[in-house]
Amino acid sequence: MVTGHNVFKEVFRYLLLTVVLAVMVGPLLWMFRVSFMRVGESIALQNLFSLSFTLTNFLDLFSNINMGRPLFNSVLVVTAVTLGNILFCFMTAYTLARFKYLANRFLFVTVILILMIPAHIVIIPLYLLCLKTGIYNTYWALILPWLVNPIGIFLVKQYIETIPPSMEEAARVDGAGDFQILFKIVMPLCKPALAVLAIQIFFTNWNSFLFPYILVSDNDLYTLPVALALFQGHQAIDWQHLMAGSVIAVIPVLIVFFFMQRQIISGITVGSIKQ
Amino acid sequence: MRGSKLSAFTFSLPWLLTFSLFWAFPLVYSFLIGFTDCNLHTFKFLPWANTWIGWDNYKALLTDSEFIDSLKNTFIFVFGTIPVTTVIALVMALLVSRRFKGRALFRAGYFLPSITSMVVIALIFINLYQRGGYVALLCEMAGIAPPVNGFLYDRGTALYAVMAMDIWMSVGYYMLIFLAGLKAIPEELYEVAEVHGASSGRQFFSITLPLLKPVALFVLVINSIKSFQVFVEIFVMTKGKFDSSTMVYFIYDTGLATAFKFGYASAAAYILFVIIAVFSVIQFILFRRKQTAW
Repeated sequence: MVTGHNVFKEVFRYLLLTVVLAVMVGPLLWMFRVSFMRVGESIALQNLFSLSFTLTNFLDLFSNINMGRPLFNSVLVVTAVTLGNILFCFMTAYTLARFKYLANRFLFVTVILILMIPAHIVIIPLYLLCLKTGIYNTYWALILPWLVNPIGIFLVKQYIETIPPSMEEAARVDGAGDFQILFKIVMPLCKPALAVLAIQIFFTNWNSFLFPYILVSDNDLYTLPVALALFQGHQAIDWQHLMAGSVIAVIPVLIVFFFMQRQIISGITVGSIKQ
Repeated sequence: MRGSKLSAFTFSLPWLLTFSLFWAFPLVYSFLIGFTDCNLHTFKFLPWANTWIGWDNYKALLTDSEFIDSLKNTFIFVFGTIPVTTVIALVMALLVSRRFKGRALFRAGYFLPSITSMVVIALIFINLYQRGGYVALLCEMAGIAPPVNGFLYDRGTALYAVMAMDIWMSVGYYMLIFLAGLKAIPEELYEVAEVHGASSGRQFFSITLPLLKPVALFVLVINSIKSFQVFVEIFVMTKGKFDSSTMVYFIYDTGLATAFKFGYASAAAYILFVIIAVFSVIQFILFRRKQTAW
């Protein structure tokens, strides 16, 4: 029973949806387009649909423009930080969810406190601390402070609380120790939450700029976002290479996004509905 | 549960170390050096080994025109972006909340900018905003004269250009949160309203909006905490020039880039900290009061 009025409404709806979609993905498509243009070619809008198409910009990134090293650094740092968070957030979350000691209230307060504290406050002191301890301008400064975070703890804690403790109790009766229970029984049960956590940590750290920028001064230690931000030449900007580098930075995010959409969404919304 | 105290301690040790070393210590440390004149040349690690100057940093900040400008710009940024972002995000959520063909594609597309690296987005928009770029072209087509040197090189447009980009980038993220909120509203409420002959507009204002309040509060709070700390886009796109410096940019600039005045920058960071805290509390109170009045 499609009336004329409804058809009109549907057409209008899809038109609106499409216009919004164009606005949202247009700039990203533009990045892809420019990354395939030849260097020296005008990147004016008129060339949007011209036939020029080359992959040399991408090859250049790993030869004369040194983006290989930042890419390696990003992969290294993000892998270490993600693994650290999976392990340490899980351990702390488990303690919070299952060990009912008085001291745990204090533990919970520390998590909530840091959850609410804006990160800008530690810019200067963290820089000075890293200088003082000698980890400034090393991989340690990019990894150590970020190995466990309150949001992750909170997320996993909420998940563990939904698991009935009967299996753990049974294991305890059978004589399993706390470590065995933690890693052999609870951890496998927490896989969905840990996947959500891993993806969130991956996104934040892969895209992170501020701290990797201020805690390191050596070109060889730049992560990809830092290298890209500082790449903008001094005179004319080399857009083709810059956008090719940006594409490299975006592709892992896109891949994870397309395969893990559900986990990403649940990671984002977990805090909002629990209110 | 009867896990031992020792394992409880062992399990939470990584967090306790991170908490005390990389969060609690910096927090206290930065508060203390905010009362000293410590800078790159005089810097001593122990706060009390530096010259104690009381509230002088805070007093100086309040008469520092660069700081006042960054404060003003931060407020323009926060109050200019948040209402727009929230409304657009809600409208987008309503657009894609019901089932229809291709919904997944639209949702994914809308969300895409918010998981892309801020640096990459900023670089793309430097290109779009430049002289003769995309946005200038659109302006010309609409009959508006774009700034001669591009949007990021003009005192009248630089900050607003960054704000527009920020809105574009973050609406998808808040759309997802609103979608989760919409999903949590029981379908029966609408069915009952339908039976009683309530128009869709009436349904929106009497059911959807009131029930979305907790979600909207969540959106407002996290968005304002994030927006008060805007830095990366300013750093990449304008370097705080053309009247676009914000507070965190000021902290970075005076603390770690040009002057290396650690004490002064820490004091500025604490002022922002207090502003964010006050702001969050106000949002909570306002929302709670309105909710009881309903």
